[in-house]
Amino acid sequence: MAVEEIPLGEQQAGDAEPALQLERGGLWRQALRQTFRKRSAVAGGVILGLLLFIALFAPVIAPYGEREVLIATEGLRPRAEPCIHLSVDWIPDVPVLSRAESFLEANGFSCPSDRPQHLMGLDGNGRDVFSRILYGARTSLVASVGAVGFAVVCGTVLGLVAGFFGGRIDNVVMRVMDVLLAFPALLLAIAIVTARGPGLFNAVLAVSVVTIPVYARVIRSRVLSVREQDFVAADRALGVSNARILVHRVLPNSLTPLVVQATLGMATAVLELAALSFFGLAGDPDTAEWGRMLSVERNQLFTSPHLVFYPGLMIMLNVLAFNLIGDGLRDALDPRLNS
Amino acid sequence: MRRQRTRWLALLVAFGLVAAACGGDDDESGDGPEEADFEAVAIDESDQCGTEGYTGNLAAIEAVDELTVRFTLCEPDVAFPAKVAFSALGIHPSEHLEATGGAPIDNPIGTGPYRLEAWERGSQIVLTANEDYWGEPPSIPTVVFRWSAESAQRLVELQSGDVDGIDNVGTEDFATVQDDPDLQLLEREPLNVFYLGFNVDKPPFDDPLVRQAIGYAIDKERIVENFYPEGSQVADQFLPPGIPQYEEGAETFTYDPERARQLLAEAGYPDGIDVGPLSYRAEPRPYLPQPPQVASDIRDQLAQVGIRATLDEQESGTFIDNANTGNLSFYMLGWGADFPDATNFWDFHFGAGASPQFGTGFPDLHEVLAEAGSTTDEEERAELYAQANDLLFEHAPAIPIAYGGSAVAFKAEVEGAHASPLSNEQFAAMSIEGQDQLVWMQNGEPSGLYCADETDGEALRVCEQINESLLGYEVGGTEVVPLLAEDYESNEDLTEWTFHLREGVTFHDGTSLDAGDVVASYRVQWDAADPLHVGRDGLFTYFEALFGGFLNPPPAEGEA
Repeated sequence: MAVEEIPLGEQQAGDAEPALQLERGGLWRQALRQTFRKRSAVAGGVILGLLLFIALFAPVIAPYGEREVLIATEGLRPRAEPCIHLSVDWIPDVPVLSRAESFLEANGFSCPSDRPQHLMGLDGNGRDVFSRILYGARTSLVASVGAVGFAVVCGTVLGLVAGFFGGRIDNVVMRVMDVLLAFPALLLAIAIVTARGPGLFNAVLAVSVVTIPVYARVIRSRVLSVREQDFVAADRALGVSNARILVHRVLPNSLTPLVVQATLGMATAVLELAALSFFGLAGDPDTAEWGRMLSVERNQLFTSPHLVFYPGLMIMLNVLAFNLIGDGLRDALDPRLNS
Repeated sequence: MRRQRTRWLALLVAFGLVAAACGGDDDESGDGPEEADFEAVAIDESDQCGTEGYTGNLAAIEAVDELTVRFTLCEPDVAFPAKVAFSALGIHPSEHLEATGGAPIDNPIGTGPYRLEAWERGSQIVLTANEDYWGEPPSIPTVVFRWSAESAQRLVELQSGDVDGIDNVGTEDFATVQDDPDLQLLEREPLNVFYLGFNVDKPPFDDPLVRQAIGYAIDKERIVENFYPEGSQVADQFLPPGIPQYEEGAETFTYDPERARQLLAEAGYPDGIDVGPLSYRAEPRPYLPQPPQVASDIRDQLAQVGIRATLDEQESGTFIDNANTGNLSFYMLGWGADFPDATNFWDFHFGAGASPQFGTGFPDLHEVLAEAGSTTDEEERAELYAQANDLLFEHAPAIPIAYGGSAVAFKAEVEGAHASPLSNEQFAAMSIEGQDQLVWMQNGEPSGLYCADETDGEALRVCEQINESLLGYEVGGTEVVPLLAEDYESNEDLTEWTFHLREGVTFHDGTSLDAGDVVASYRVQWDAADPLHVGRDGLFTYFEALFGGFLNPPPAEGEA
């Protein structure tokens, strides 16, 4: 990526400027370093890392299949409470540990080793919730990355074109964006899914479409200032084509706010996808998807709280991770906050 | 008002004269033209019986005198009293029907123990006691209907004391209610059936072998045991055990995966088959308390014998419309009894006039059902319905899976609390010491309160407090009891039914009930060309289902 011109945009930013230029590495590396100086961002990174790990290795970690029904095989009732084997061989025989173990056992946190272990219990269909939670990380991450990715690409193209060429194109594109923004995002997403039919792909598309205007606006506002810069004027004077200027000059210099917006947008996308699938609009009801797991068992809130607790917790962690990283990135990339 | 009524009369008399002139050979109407001591009203359409344009079974209604109404049928109907007792046939004052243009949707007036006080859309319906009630006046002055689709919320509201009674206790909450000394759990006898349905016109379900294979692939016990509350049973036929015509030991599909694979191979799919979507709606019903879970389990069971289905969850209204128009090829649906007779289950689904829900019907089944519906001898009927069971087993357009138990819960101090197998709990029969209000929380808000044009139990239960039919059902049971009609009799071959109305019954608006109101209440439903045949959406589904069809049916039928 061509980033050699980056600081030019910030030329007038004032006395914070020299310090920024003195640090080693490109803007991105600096930004990352800045970001992870904050503890909250580190926490976000760790959670996200864990989620990524879970998503990647779900089939290896999960003791059961995503849709494996255990009613007939293990003789357990659906919605059986969690069963955790605490007395395992590999725990060292230390008094403290064994005391803790017997305390937990006495309080119903452990279960006899002849009962099959289910860390998070069974769901209403007699499937292992722990395994489904793990597989759910895949669905959630893939879908939210897909949704944000598509929205960023579309929003960037639209914003670049609108901002760079201005005039009538700008007017048309941005008015369409305004129309999209006029609807509450979730409502519009529901409308889109209803029109196209339920399904994970359509849900991703819907969440994506409703966020395009946000990215388009962010990019456009940057482009409006970047296109007036001297280095763009220089390129123009040299007869560089519009396309080349857009891709090699304007785009790289407009990316920083977009990255922040996209990271925070991931959190929103996770939530909106969960909401759509809570409403039964995100495709196959059997797919391990946290929002769906929550919705199907919501009436068991008081009788089998584990069925609602774990999916809810995972959605929260996922959103939290992206929000923490997003906040950190924003602070790192915002020139006014650099001191 | 008065003038309009006279105009109607003139029209009706003229109609009667024409009918009498045309259909002179009709020997069923043995008694001569009625004397005009009272504003005798008669609608005689008996010459339409069996003609192409009329599929109905109702031939004539006449107000013989002020307190006598006579119904004449084209074909005998043994279930006629049970049908007349149904709440879609509640009696409305004829003046009010006219004043509301045939659509008393949010201001019904009846003779019932409660009158409608206020309907705050989206929040609650308030009923107050009718002081001039002909029977024993209700002891609770105010009954409030509220609603929530979430069973957990209903239970919490009951536990916290915000409501006094709730409908459909969640499957997992039975024990919670039972263990709570402040609450009482009342189980409903399962008077319903949950089944897997096929449109037998759509491949691959046009092959009976495929349908039978699915029948043998389903482990009904596993479904009932894991997804149904106590009191539920495995289904062995389309009728639940509470219906008098239930056949002991009917032949049915039993779990036999080997047989299923074999049938599948016979049908030409030795390596399994993709059958497409299994459609259902997520809303719980007494016959199916946990739809998504049962759908997942059925898919899993089918997959084990090589039948691969996808799940297709649809919005409730869309789903029912799709089923009724024959758009669904493979679906999960059920039926709860409206009145305790086999015709309510069989004819609605598999009779000659049934919707294309299962595709084009089966002529042999049509024949058996028509005969069973018009036979008076109960033993003979039982024999015929046993044949129907065999035919259903052979053709397998539907696989009955479960009879779902459900329950209502009340605070312990509610006296006379009961659960009705027909879901028409009557609050006039309840009392709470030291409390002048009872709050009831059900699943949903009624769409309208003119129940001639409603099919949803959420609406019917409210209507049943306000409007009464000629007959009714006993409190908490299915026995037909006198309501507005003190007694009734029929002729030998069950084609002529005469009802004698109770004396001195007044409507909530003070007008008194007479035979003319009964005729008007039926007429506006029966005659599709009547200016008051309006309702909420104008479908009058139950009337059509109960009596086979309308007079002057609209030319484009079916598509609603």
